[in-house]
Amino acid sequence: MNIKALLKSLLLRKFTTGLLILQLAITLGLLINSAILAIDTNNKLAEKTGLDAENILIVSLHPTSGDYRDLDYYRSIVSEDLQQIKKIPGVESVSLINQLPINRRGMLGNVYDLDDPELVRKDKYLQDVKIFLTNEELGNTLALALLEGRFLTKDDELDFGSDKNGNVLITESLKKALYGDGSALGQETNNGRVVGVVKDIMLNPTIPADKQYGVFGNRVMEFIFTGRFYLLKVNQGKVEAVRNKVSDTILAVQGERDIFRVYTMAEHMQRFYRHDKGLAQLFLMLCGLMIFVTAISSYAYSQFHISRQKKYIGIRRALGARKKDILLYVLTENWLVYTIGCVLGLVMALGFNILLSQYISLSKPDMMLFLLASAVIFVAGTLATLIPAIKTSNIPPVIATRTV
Amino acid sequence: MRSPSMFTYNLSLAMQSFKRAPTLYFLIILTLSIGVGVLCANLALVNSMASDPIPEKSDKLIHISMNTWPGDQPPDEPMHILRYRDAMKIAESDIPKRSAVFYASGVYARDVQSTSMKRFDSDVRATTPGFFELTNAPFAYGSAFEKDRGMEVVIGDELNQKIFSGKNSVGKTLELDGELLTIVGVLKPWILRPLFYHATEGRAFNLTDDIYAPLETAIDLGWSIHARSSSADDYSGVEETRDRNAYYLQAWVELENINQRSAMQSYLDSYSQELKDAGEHPLTTRNELHNVNEWLLVKKVVDQKVLAFTIASVLFLAVCIFNASSLLLSRFHAAKFEVGLRRAIGASNRHMFMQGLTESVLLGLFTGAVALVLSWLFLKLSVQFLPRLANIAVLEPKLLVLGMLLALITSIASALYPLYRANRYTISAELK
Repeated sequence: MNIKALLKSLLLRKFTTGLLILQLAITLGLLINSAILAIDTNNKLAEKTGLDAENILIVSLHPTSGDYRDLDYYRSIVSEDLQQIKKIPGVESVSLINQLPINRRGMLGNVYDLDDPELVRKDKYLQDVKIFLTNEELGNTLALALLEGRFLTKDDELDFGSDKNGNVLITESLKKALYGDGSALGQETNNGRVVGVVKDIMLNPTIPADKQYGVFGNRVMEFIFTGRFYLLKVNQGKVEAVRNKVSDTILAVQGERDIFRVYTMAEHMQRFYRHDKGLAQLFLMLCGLMIFVTAISSYAYSQFHISRQKKYIGIRRALGARKKDILLYVLTENWLVYTIGCVLGLVMALGFNILLSQYISLSKPDMMLFLLASAVIFVAGTLATLIPAIKTSNIPPVIATRTV
Repeated sequence: MRSPSMFTYNLSLAMQSFKRAPTLYFLIILTLSIGVGVLCANLALVNSMASDPIPEKSDKLIHISMNTWPGDQPPDEPMHILRYRDAMKIAESDIPKRSAVFYASGVYARDVQSTSMKRFDSDVRATTPGFFELTNAPFAYGSAFEKDRGMEVVIGDELNQKIFSGKNSVGKTLELDGELLTIVGVLKPWILRPLFYHATEGRAFNLTDDIYAPLETAIDLGWSIHARSSSADDYSGVEETRDRNAYYLQAWVELENINQRSAMQSYLDSYSQELKDAGEHPLTTRNELHNVNEWLLVKKVVDQKVLAFTIASVLFLAVCIFNASSLLLSRFHAAKFEVGLRRAIGASNRHMFMQGLTESVLLGLFTGAVALVLSWLFLKLSVQFLPRLANIAVLEPKLLVLGMLLALITSIASALYPLYRANRYTISAELK
């Protein structure tokens, strides 16, 4: 195949060829970046949380009556709730907590060792440590992995109104930040005395994995009005059964409660990324439309071309070119256009990536993705031009004998 | 040429042309209208997010951020939330015409006289009375409360619909978290897009509040803070926050004219300096004043994801125009015999151009009609994918006009080059 001749023939149709190449390039650029968005989102969703997310149920609720301003009443109802929920078949353990893991903000505080308050200045993440107010069941409910020391116990609950800080559990990364590789047990922080260290769980997905600082204290009964969530560890396969029952169980204890939602930790994570996922889906939808439009263009391009080249192709046929040769000729011509389009598309993809990065975070394009997207363009383009190409190859040699 | 008969002749030619190649024109209309529809849906979102919610005085309403954190490691510098005494310092200044100091809370509400025990989850704005005039809150019944303290509330239209099915409920008593408060005013349906008075914490596109309560009363009752708060001191309830370093109040002032901004600035600066001289905070004096539009810009209320998608849809529209252009080119090429014939029997270049233009305007109108339907559809789809935007997905009339204009422009733009080419076909060549 004579590439030079092909290029010459393309140059005869500068405008349409130029348009198609531009279209292909833009389509490729968008395709690559949309794929990046989708892959990024999937990667985020697939990140390890350190939690048995499928088997943890969350109940978010709020009392609706003024009676709950009496904190002793509030506590007695909550204690009854906890007992009744635990009796639901399939529930392994249940605890009350002020905020959920896998969240951006929430209750945050600074944490430092009483002997070294200056540490907070060196590590800005120490200013925004997640402070969890919970009860002694949390270790079981979230199936936290104990690295040293012990979980919280009933005895760690302080007298209400006490100005002491009590005992706390901290996450591994917080321990590393405060005490390096040494033991943290018995150390005094501004939030309490460390009695245990647990393996990291995903507290805030928007900060690095080694900065998942968290402090857990047995204080939710003391600040009962912060207890917004029940966390239930449910036996494998019992999630739906428990989900259907838990609201009724709670309302049966006392009806004046607004139960916003009952959902698994996995659903909670999905919700967290819903906006990212939605954006990726929108982009993919746009890509689909774009490929469709570009396919129409490719089709129109070859169709147009044939109508203009009928005579020359007829002559070629008359001179001995076989149908196969003509088909290959038309397809090669298109492939040449696609190749130019894809090369330009690479530039477009990079430019588009930089442009989008001003607004959203997305990874850089890689070669593999470029090749894959190019393949999509080639396949879609070839399919769209196949019919005109076959039609062209069917032009009979006799056309050559007609004069215009 | 300008005569109506010529115009109808051109129209009928265009219709004939459409009929001769229906698939091709269908494809052109389809691609162009998808392109315009997607872009229009996005522009509708951007338009709602970037619009000025209170154009009549947005330059005179000023949000105040201050820098009075007692330690040398403030959560932000400056902070958009203020502690009680700083906010009160603003409220007592007589430089501005009026001011509003408030925080967001939430209670459960029911009509005390109702037999039903159902309580409605209600968003609360605990505020000083200046809020209503400052924000131009529209009253349907009654009026604002007049003092910072009192067992009185103003309620929004939505809550009034839910509890009193929209009737005049002034004088009725609500049970709010166990306390009894009397309704003194009911608002009309009130939409602020964006919700400029609380544009932070991802609330910029929330609905206006359900209940407006006097600030001091809400604090006394310990109604909890539902938006961001930062505190350097411990406290167990809002009622204890007045003399502590708990930051949770937002402050707005309304100036008589924008020249008072500097007076306000120096008032705040000298206050900050006093505090600093008294050793109450180690920070540099940094009080920031933003008018409504500046504040919305600083807080980036326009969703960056939607902006990114808008860029993509502009590119998509470009692709659609290119596509239509190459389709039209092939159409004109196929019709070149006809063109040549008409030229031969005396149609001037201008005639041919006008004829082509008529065709593309007609095409544009069809495209516009389809595009408007599609943009409504895409808007619904966007909300499906991005549920957070539900409150702002509205097609305003001006966007419908914009969509139509876009359709016309794209249709004409895509016909320009093909027309130019068609008019260069030599008469003789085509008639051979």
